[in-house]
Amino acid sequence: MEMKLFDIDIIEYGFFITAIALVLIGLYAVLIKKSLIKIVIGLSILDSGINLLLITIGYVKGGTAPVFSPSVIKDMPLTMENIKKISEGMVDPIPQALVLTAIVIGFGVTAVALSLVIRLYRHHQTLNIDQIKNLKW
Amino acid sequence: MNTIYLLFTVLFGGAILTFLLGKLSRILYYIVFLLTMAAAVFVFYAQIRIGDTVNINVDDMQLQWGLTAFGWLFSLMVLGLGLLAAIYSIAYMKGKDRLGYFYLHFLISIGAMLGILLSRDLVSFFIFWEIMTWASYFIVVYSGKDVQKTGIRYILFSAIGAYAMLMAIVIIYGQTNSISIDDLAVNYSTFSTSLQIWIPLLLITAFAVKSALMPLHVWAPGAYANSPMAYTAVFSGALSKMGIYGMVIVFVTLIANLPQGVIIRDIIAWLGAITAVMGTFWAIAQDDAKKLLAYSSIGQLGYIIVGVAIGTSFAMMAALFMAIMHALFKGALFMAVGAVERQAGTTDLTEVTGLIRKMPWTFIASLISIIALAGIPPVGGFVGKWMLYESLISSDHYLLVILIFFASTAGFLYCYKFLFGFFLGQEEKEWEHVKEAPVMMVVPMMLMAVMALILGVFPGILLKPVDVAMQSMGYAETYGHLWSMSVLFNEWGNQVMLEPLFYAIIIVFMVFLVFLVLKGMKGTRYVTTKDISTSGEIPLEHENLTFKGNFFQPFLRAVDPVMKRQIMTYYRQIGDGLEAFFDFIRRVYSGNGQTYAIYVMIFLVILLLLKDSLFG
Amino acid sequence: MVGSPVFFIAIPLLVAFIIPLAGYVSKELVRILPGLVLIYLLALSFSLMGYVMEYGTIVEQIAGWAPPWGINLVYSPFTGFLTTLMLFIGLVIWIYSYRFKNVDFEEGKKFFILFLMLVTGAVGIVLTGDIFNQFVFIEITSIAGYALTAFYRGRDSAEASFKYLMIGSLSSMFLLLAIALIYSQLGTLNMADIASKSHLMLPEFKILALIFFIIGLGIEAEIFPLNGWAPDAYSQAPGPVGAAFAGIVVKAGVYAVIRIIFTLFDVEGTHEFLIVAGLITLLVAEMAALKQTRLKRMLAYSSIGQMGLVLIAFGIGTEAGVFAAIFLMFNHAIIKSLLFLSGSYLVYNSSEKFISEVNGMGKYLPITAVLFSLGAIAIVGMPPFAGFWSKWSVLTAAAHEGMFMIIGMILLVSIVELVYYFRIINRIFFFKMEDHIEPKRPTANALIAMFALGVIILVIGFYPGLITGYIHEASQSLLDKGKYIHDVLSAGVLTR
Repeated sequence: MEMKLFDIDIIEYGFFITAIALVLIGLYAVLIKKSLIKIVIGLSILDSGINLLLITIGYVKGGTAPVFSPSVIKDMPLTMENIKKISEGMVDPIPQALVLTAIVIGFGVTAVALSLVIRLYRHHQTLNIDQIKNLKW
Repeated sequence: MNTIYLLFTVLFGGAILTFLLGKLSRILYYIVFLLTMAAAVFVFYAQIRIGDTVNINVDDMQLQWGLTAFGWLFSLMVLGLGLLAAIYSIAYMKGKDRLGYFYLHFLISIGAMLGILLSRDLVSFFIFWEIMTWASYFIVVYSGKDVQKTGIRYILFSAIGAYAMLMAIVIIYGQTNSISIDDLAVNYSTFSTSLQIWIPLLLITAFAVKSALMPLHVWAPGAYANSPMAYTAVFSGALSKMGIYGMVIVFVTLIANLPQGVIIRDIIAWLGAITAVMGTFWAIAQDDAKKLLAYSSIGQLGYIIVGVAIGTSFAMMAALFMAIMHALFKGALFMAVGAVERQAGTTDLTEVTGLIRKMPWTFIASLISIIALAGIPPVGGFVGKWMLYESLISSDHYLLVILIFFASTAGFLYCYKFLFGFFLGQEEKEWEHVKEAPVMMVVPMMLMAVMALILGVFPGILLKPVDVAMQSMGYAETYGHLWSMSVLFNEWGNQVMLEPLFYAIIIVFMVFLVFLVLKGMKGTRYVTTKDISTSGEIPLEHENLTFKGNFFQPFLRAVDPVMKRQIMTYYRQIGDGLEAFFDFIRRVYSGNGQTYAIYVMIFLVILLLLKDSLFG
Repeated sequence: MVGSPVFFIAIPLLVAFIIPLAGYVSKELVRILPGLVLIYLLALSFSLMGYVMEYGTIVEQIAGWAPPWGINLVYSPFTGFLTTLMLFIGLVIWIYSYRFKNVDFEEGKKFFILFLMLVTGAVGIVLTGDIFNQFVFIEITSIAGYALTAFYRGRDSAEASFKYLMIGSLSSMFLLLAIALIYSQLGTLNMADIASKSHLMLPEFKILALIFFIIGLGIEAEIFPLNGWAPDAYSQAPGPVGAAFAGIVVKAGVYAVIRIIFTLFDVEGTHEFLIVAGLITLLVAEMAALKQTRLKRMLAYSSIGQMGLVLIAFGIGTEAGVFAAIFLMFNHAIIKSLLFLSGSYLVYNSSEKFISEVNGMGKYLPITAVLFSLGAIAIVGMPPFAGFWSKWSVLTAAAHEGMFMIIGMILLVSIVELVYYFRIINRIFFFKMEDHIEPKRPTANALIAMFALGVIILVIGFYPGLITGYIHEASQSLLDKGKYIHDVLSAGVLTR
């Protein structure tokens, strides 16, 4: 794989913007919002934004799915050069693998977070994070 | 096995054995403890020769343990006092609990002190210094009284000193890549000038803490007073001398060749003199015998430090002689106080009275020791003080002599207070029951007092080893023998003795006393204290005519302006200020999770803004 | 050799998920299985260390894919040393928690599953040679950490866990950003590969990636100001878990930061950054520790402070500095674990865990009290205990570089440490016990665990040479970047 500088097209541009926007929205929710549920939602949005960012990195303009299917091979002999040529038209699979993992991790964390929120609500009768400050200094 | 290893095995192993075996049976405590001390004394004096060395490799450093003549001199204090205090403590600690803990730390601290004397390299020195610190700490807090105040003060100041020393040691190691003390002496002149000044200052700080030099002395009264008297004898007699040991080494090897060294010498000498004066004043103001002796120790150490700082061979000899004398008589005095504490239950000088007939041996030991402390012939303290005065005058430090002399004279006040408070005065019913202390407590006291007396008459017994020790430190034998620098001494046969002139004076006094006694013999009537009439009134049965409260009130009123400003208040202010500051700092952890998240973001922003200056 | 590095990951994970099933066979099996696993892995690690000290690094390719495409595990003297240390601490904690607070069967199942996962994750962070793999292991460790922090239902454990979770999620975000950046520029996720290619990155991106890594991993390594979650989590987690955090997890975090800085990137100024960050962490943590009123929280701050010291040592950068840092990590793991474990018994039956509640425990729990005092004196650095030698190494390493101010500050902070630890020792032995506290005698297994740690402190204190050989090898292995790259990339086959 070659290094990419800012050689991106308009779709990729859009994806990047969306991803960063999601990250910022998530950060806003985590840092500014007071309700615990909103914070957890913010964390989830944050995860989505980062995942989108990751996938976008692997994007190849006009690329197809990274699978060597018959329609892609089209009777070409499988030499190293041919494989390289074909794979250049494919989207990079590695970020997709990373994102799969990250999504699952995010899901697990969200589950734990929500169960903690439930316990916190039972204990403090409030979801306001400013009031949950028993452990300080 | 190498004898030095043997010594440590005996002491530290004995410590652990005492602790463990004693749990089985109380008697075992005493037996194992005494055996360990005796064995240590034996191994040390019979087996270890000066010049023996042991090398131990740790990582890439070489630790070196060996005995020098100078160390041998101090070992007299450590082991001699240690053994006598050990015997004393058997009786003193009878009936108290947690004996194993006491004996364990007692032996460990003795072992550590010997380790300090045996260290030929800086790392071992530091290691043993720290072991001594925590072992003595645990004994200081043994009684559980005022622990947070006394204990923390002790460990805090010890730590300040110890870490100053550590800083100096690592700097030295960084510069020379060697930890041997001999190497340091050789390489020292290659350091930069600022280092050459800082390193001795750091080291002196460490030693000044342990020898209770002002202004680092504030831990001492509490520590001396609150620890069990059996250990305080060792504490003030031997442990504080470890600071003196270190200071002598610093002054002789490091500062001797330093051009700016004269300033340091003067500062330390003046601090020593001020310590002597202030220590004496505070001692005069005390009503508790333990505190009185504690402050007195601080004062005496001040004298010694003056001698060390001045540094001429005569002054050094005086200082070393005084150091050993101090170990003897202070040890005896603390033991006496311990005896009174055990027998009478309190050490308050305004309460206890008239024990002279009930505890005669304790009285005699105290009397001789007080005479030594005051510096009156024929007891040894006189020799030390005289040499100190003479050395100061001969090196032109006239102002210092005035201060020291003043302190000495003022010292008579608390000397008298001590004797009068406990032993003299009208007997009270409260103290009817007091009996003499057990033999095991009296014998060490008397031994030390008698030693002090002997050394006063034959100071040569001590001066010869001091001479050897000083020569090993590099003092040349300029006058044949060092003691011939003083007008005090004369050689008779092989013994160094006081000049006949002084004997003449002493004999005259004795004759006079005898004359007084005899004169009153014939036809003297024995009267009780109450057989008097004061202005026509006859005292009632229960009245006590001894005035004890507000002793020396006029004197104290006179020196009040000087005594009013206490260093402890400044320390306390600094401490409180720091704690308030820390309290402020810890509010960073506000408890709000979002705040923590915001901190993360702020950190990110800072790093991004500063990334060019941070990361090339 | 009895196995390959993969076993360090595979076996505990497998056993962790078998535990519930094993529970149906026999209730005791639930408690015993983790111990067996840890013993086996520790033995494996010892034998691998022996091998590695002779022959050099072992690189294990997972599923046979050679680097830089496949994920590989790197068992070098450095990573192996840390792994052995972590497994040992894990084993000791397992022995301790065999009967702790009488957790019943249901709870015990969860506890041991999560504990095994925590240890696995930490070991994985250290052993892996791939940055995304490291991310995954960090997440495993973190999630296990969130759950373990919230283990007890009472008290404020949910609050602590939630804070940990929030900050931990931010950490994941930053890590993924860093990984994204690196992948987009270099196209590889393999650490050795990145190390060899890092000079090809645009400097702005490199520094940006470095910053993201520092923040993401710094949260795990508890650098100030990223460590707000740490005091809460350490103090609310059950005693053995607190010890695990202090002795295992934070070491993995610091390892990750150091690996990034020393091996992956070669940026000027990172060493100074480490020193400054470490110094600030040390100062703030120790100052806060002095004013604490709760025992475990105080121990947590002390732990953070020690990690700051480790960072300073790494920042000094010379071999002496790295040696000192690894030695500090070793000593800290052992001593802090001892403090947490014994401290838990000192405040066993109290709900608030105030420091005043340890008053007078010396009489009822003499052995525990003595062990706690031993740990306290050791961690301050008093000879002749282990902590002295590591403090000595870091000070001499700094002295060789002429960093006198730093030496002075470290020593000043040591004085503060001494004061607050000795205040507690005084309370334990010389104060009277508070009325509402019932002391709880430690069980035999707890005593064995604590004793083992105490013995090590004494032994290393008298013979530091026993361990310094390994640490020297480890520090050389860390500093030798070229060798790392070579070992991993040259189709490093697992030689048997």
